[in-house]
Amino acid sequence: MSQEATTETTLQPQRRGLMQELFPSVVSGIIVGVVGAVVVALIVNALTQGGNQDATLSAAYTAWVFFFMVGIGAFNDVIKWGFGRREPTHEEEQQLAGKGQGLWRYFRWTTDHKVVGLQYLITTLLLFFVGSLGAFSIRLEQSMPGARFFTPSTYNTIVGMHGIIMIVAAVIMVAGPFGNFVVPIMIGARDMAFPRLNALSYWLLFADIPIIITTLFLGGFQTGWTGYAPLQVAQLTPGADAYCFFIIVFAISTTVAALNIITTVMVLRTRGMTWGRLPVLVWGVVLSVLLSLTAFPTFMMSQIMVVMDRVFQTSFFEAAFGGNNWVYEHLFWFFGHPEVYVIVLPSLAVAAEVSAVFARKGIFGRRMLVGSLVGISLLSVIVWGHHLYFSGSNDPLDAPFMLDTELISIPTGVFFLALVGTYWRGKIWVTVPVLFVVGVLVNFVIGGITGIYLADLPTDEILHGGMFVTAHFHFTLVGAGVFGFFAGFYYWFPKMVGKRLNPFLGQLHFWLFEIGFLGTFISLFYAGLIGEPRWQANIAPPFAVPNTIASLFAILIAASVFVAVYNVVITFRRGEPALANEWGGKTLEWTVPTPVPLENFPGELPVVTSTPYDYGEPEPAPSDVEGSLESPLLPHSQAES
Amino acid sequence: MSEANITASTASTAPAEQEPNHFRRVLIAWIVLSVVGIVLWIVLAPFILPAAASNLSSTDDLTFIVLTVLAIPVALFVFVFLAYSLLFFRTRERPTEDPPPLKPRPGLQIGWLGVTGVLCLFLFIWGMVAYYQETAAAATPNTLIVQVTGQQWMWTFNYPQYGVSSQSQVIELPVNRPVQFVVTSEDVLHGFAIRALGVRVDANPGEITTTPVVTPTQIGNYTVNCVEMCGLLHSYMWEAVNVVDSSSFNSWIINQGGHP
Repeated sequence: MSQEATTETTLQPQRRGLMQELFPSVVSGIIVGVVGAVVVALIVNALTQGGNQDATLSAAYTAWVFFFMVGIGAFNDVIKWGFGRREPTHEEEQQLAGKGQGLWRYFRWTTDHKVVGLQYLITTLLLFFVGSLGAFSIRLEQSMPGARFFTPSTYNTIVGMHGIIMIVAAVIMVAGPFGNFVVPIMIGARDMAFPRLNALSYWLLFADIPIIITTLFLGGFQTGWTGYAPLQVAQLTPGADAYCFFIIVFAISTTVAALNIITTVMVLRTRGMTWGRLPVLVWGVVLSVLLSLTAFPTFMMSQIMVVMDRVFQTSFFEAAFGGNNWVYEHLFWFFGHPEVYVIVLPSLAVAAEVSAVFARKGIFGRRMLVGSLVGISLLSVIVWGHHLYFSGSNDPLDAPFMLDTELISIPTGVFFLALVGTYWRGKIWVTVPVLFVVGVLVNFVIGGITGIYLADLPTDEILHGGMFVTAHFHFTLVGAGVFGFFAGFYYWFPKMVGKRLNPFLGQLHFWLFEIGFLGTFISLFYAGLIGEPRWQANIAPPFAVPNTIASLFAILIAASVFVAVYNVVITFRRGEPALANEWGGKTLEWTVPTPVPLENFPGELPVVTSTPYDYGEPEPAPSDVEGSLESPLLPHSQAES
Repeated sequence: MSEANITASTASTAPAEQEPNHFRRVLIAWIVLSVVGIVLWIVLAPFILPAAASNLSSTDDLTFIVLTVLAIPVALFVFVFLAYSLLFFRTRERPTEDPPPLKPRPGLQIGWLGVTGVLCLFLFIWGMVAYYQETAAAATPNTLIVQVTGQQWMWTFNYPQYGVSSQSQVIELPVNRPVQFVVTSEDVLHGFAIRALGVRVDANPGEITTTPVVTPTQIGNYTVNCVEMCGLLHSYMWEAVNVVDSSSFNSWIINQGGHP
């Protein structure tokens, strides 16, 4: 609550010196991080007498992350308040949340969830841009037979970096920007449950990005994004270490963010925001981060084992010394399959959220839809074996894995019923977000159905490890995941930034993207059907035609990327201001002013009396009574003001 | 699923006489398009799928055709309903009043789950039966054994029954004689795959895996590919597979230094 102005001025001096601005900030973080990394690398290099460059590099990466955190001030609070045994005052908390710091708060250790959300949004867009450059390089190389444009080594590194950067971008794309910015407001909270952990999760991600970039100067890595051992272990150049550390740090960042989001939704819902009234986006984000808690620790463990094999010459994966490559493959896919749903579930939730608003109609069977998302999450952790049908490691389990995998089509079908039913007899205001939701539905049908071919043993026998797989997972991850992200992006951008994206450029973005996407990956389905394997720097002549067609269509996707970038840039520079409730949504984030004030809700926290989808209902009053009866679990804790 | 199952929850929404029966129209469109799609697919499938050269790939192709026949109406259901909604229920401007809300009836939900469940079960049973048939045949003394070894970045092939290795890294196979591939790797993971024969298994370092017994049925020249990322020259790791008649096979064996 408001405090006296005099206290504030004593805490915040009128004029801050340059050093006070820079320390702590991202600038001091980078300086301290680089110096720390270099010093530690020199020490380890001296200790190992220069004989173990993997050890040197591992130490340097670890030191970089640690000293970056020191430099940006991540531990300041721990030292000040942890050892000082004093609770921070409300002013100190607001100071930390970026009060009165202008744009510079985006470059500091800022705890406000809206700052973190926007940091995530910009980072996601930048990662997508970098990753798409990799994609276009791949399409360039595969446009003609033979390795013409890149050496196989460069090509393999590009494929691996495109893959892992896009996976990371896709994992954070909804839970990062919208999970941080929108979800706390949607549930009626003033911030996340652990604002400092929120800043930590973002800055870990920030510190992580240079690590994967360094692989370009260290010989790259040859494994593709899956990082299979023992191939990764056998690689002589240290570029492989960059991949491993990129994953390790990202896993920590994701775990921190996941725990924070789950705790926030569990304890900070406002009065009346029962589980039964929770907006679908919140369900999607919570289920996604719950899944990531099961997925990322095993991925991190597998990478630690690879680093140990590389640095200490252990032999977890070396067959000659009793190791086994199947260990890696199972650890990887135990992460790898839930990870697909970590990406797709929140995008499906965004699609449902947007559909209700623009069809002006409640989600057709909202509980049924939430149930289907829960069902998909549960099933997704027990299907990883279908990636290993022909590995020789789990033949007796082929049948159960096949059954589990195909069972996923049942909750997925329910999702389609809910969305098709939402549009049926609605009053559909066809805006850019709706176009992207249509993209999600069209692409996800194709992506889902082609998944059946890969789940069924007889067809997987001719398709496994081929371009059909590549096309399939691009249909799910891009076609459903990224299109869902863009639906949310065009939907919440007016709230997050306060400006209106150009709708004409948005439509152009959609049509170029969708047509280019369908053309590219349907061609690659055909390439895979006639037998083209994945990861081909050197396209064999029989597969030339579908690859050339795919590359031509990819030009449209490239054009769409530049349209989107142009749209975002001109909107930031001179976009017209958006309304506080730009689309007529009924979720809580549309009830607060734009730009959203610090601590979100001016005055008292709102009290929720109905679901946010009661379009066309006569009065919300009766459903209030029903709602309280059907959900006896009222939140214990109200976010105190 | 019928119109009766999707009913408006408020009484005021009974459709006016003039309004077309949307549900009937979209249902007819869906059925017509599905029939057209299935017929087109069955006619075109032989031209789209590459020629099957073994008993296994014939079964695989048949499964592919059956799955697609089922997939067409499922995909069209979403496409047609969505397209119809966007064409007929759209508004140009921000809508000022809300349409009547729809809620799914239990009958619709149970019916939907039932239909998808039956489809799903069919896929599983079909897949299991087809795969069981493919893998049921055990190796007999007549079965040709080919030992395959993957290494970065080439395949080598041994014919232990003839005491020879293929000197030019080519797989030569007699037509209509069952063959089984016994696969391993010397260094990292490779993926052994002959698309035309429908065989595929990983080559693991330190482990031996086998393919099902497969009978090539078409004389011709095919390729064996590596389908697991194995490093720098992965995309150059493909070699020839020649299915020939048995006399050519015997003379090839003698050529390689073996005894038929």
